[in-house]
Amino acid sequence: MIEINHDKCIQCVGCASVCPVLAIELVGLRMKTYPEKCISCKACIRACPADCIKLIEKK
Amino acid sequence: MDYDYDIIIIGGGPAGASMARIAAQNGMSVMIYDKRKELGEPVRCGEGLGQREVLAQGVDLPRWCFSTEILGAKVIAPNGKSITWKSKDTKGWVLERKMFDKWLVELAVEKGAKVRTYSRVTDLVKKDGKIDGVMVSQWGKEPFEVRAPLVVSAEGMEAIVARKAGLKAMSTLYDVDTCYQYEMKPYNHENLIELYFGNRIAPRGYVWIFPKDAKKANVGIGIGAHLTNGKKGGNVDGAEPKRLLDEFIAGNKELRDASVLQDFGGVISVGAPIDSFVKDGFMCIGTAARQVDPIHGGGIALAMETGIMAAGVAAKAHSRKDYSERMLKEYENAWRSGPGKKMGKRLLLRKVMEEVNDDDLNHIFNTIKDADLQKVMEGNFAGPVAKVVAGRPQLLRILKALIS
Repeated sequence: MIEINHDKCIQCVGCASVCPVLAIELVGLRMKTYPEKCISCKACIRACPADCIKLIEKK
Repeated sequence: MDYDYDIIIIGGGPAGASMARIAAQNGMSVMIYDKRKELGEPVRCGEGLGQREVLAQGVDLPRWCFSTEILGAKVIAPNGKSITWKSKDTKGWVLERKMFDKWLVELAVEKGAKVRTYSRVTDLVKKDGKIDGVMVSQWGKEPFEVRAPLVVSAEGMEAIVARKAGLKAMSTLYDVDTCYQYEMKPYNHENLIELYFGNRIAPRGYVWIFPKDAKKANVGIGIGAHLTNGKKGGNVDGAEPKRLLDEFIAGNKELRDASVLQDFGGVISVGAPIDSFVKDGFMCIGTAARQVDPIHGGGIALAMETGIMAAGVAAKAHSRKDYSERMLKEYENAWRSGPGKKMGKRLLLRKVMEEVNDDDLNHIFNTIKDADLQKVMEGNFAGPVAKVVAGRPQLLRILKALIS
């Protein structure tokens, strides 16, 4: 699953637009993730222009 | 049939606002829900907009919606050689997107459309398997149901509801550019858009400098997202937009010492439009449908044009009380045989140009003139290709795709 550094995030929604499983969405003023949907494909990490997403182990 | 509205539009950007304006003008009751706290915010855009397409829609911009007018473009090869191109097609504006987006929505409101910010559509409502409304969460509260026989996704890149409706509204990494941008000051410009090409400067993309008033400029970069390595946060050896942009700025005498007034970024579609734009009771317009120019990544003019087109079909559907996919398909067919054709040529050009290396790019820029750029942008590739290939026959292998 992924973790977003909200201090660096610019809410550009680039991650959401390439996520194949709708596991990220802008809700309110922040990007929200749905870890149960995430397939760890890293598409969001590669698309993110702000370098604020990283892959973490599933808890 | 106790509908709350005739149309619910998700997203108050240029596509949604344009559709709302025309639909309301045609007597339909329209509601726009935008999940953001403020329309137009955050800006995720270079803010450039061509004048010709917009004026053709009968829309002229008030002075406060744009920062400056653009006279033309300067295209710069990897070796620094440039071509300056000014024509009726290169006139445009660099917008103040926040002001512009809000103004477009206000025009719709003046025609009778309603709009509500901070209202996120969380899901579709279906009756007997057909889309019949949406669930809306306002200010983060529990969602409630709002019904309409037609729901429109004008959601932009995210396109979450469009995907929940069953449309393939997402992009692959290969079909997007990941972009970073600064608003900078001071920068002395001549009201020209500057585009720097090169696989070292911006792999499968370019660096842009869009002039703004008072010696400001949007300085940004877009690169193919598939070329990034996905190892961010640690050992970065792939192509990263912000790092490459910082390198470009460090190498530019004037920008090096300029201040940064704003950081922004985003992901733009440079691929094909989605397979299908409509379902029973549902339409997808603008960037949500990936109706974006694959060469420059601009989506505003297309979004506005599409919004108007979709509103015309929606009005027809409304008068016939027929919101079936078959009826709404009229919008899709009109789009594909109009703006879609032009977009197809741009996509071909993008795919061919990404095969060209920097040395070839230098050759191309050495050979062609501004009049050739004009032809290329109009989709007439044969003349310019012949010129380029005459001096470098080996390029025929790559460029022949443009003329076959």
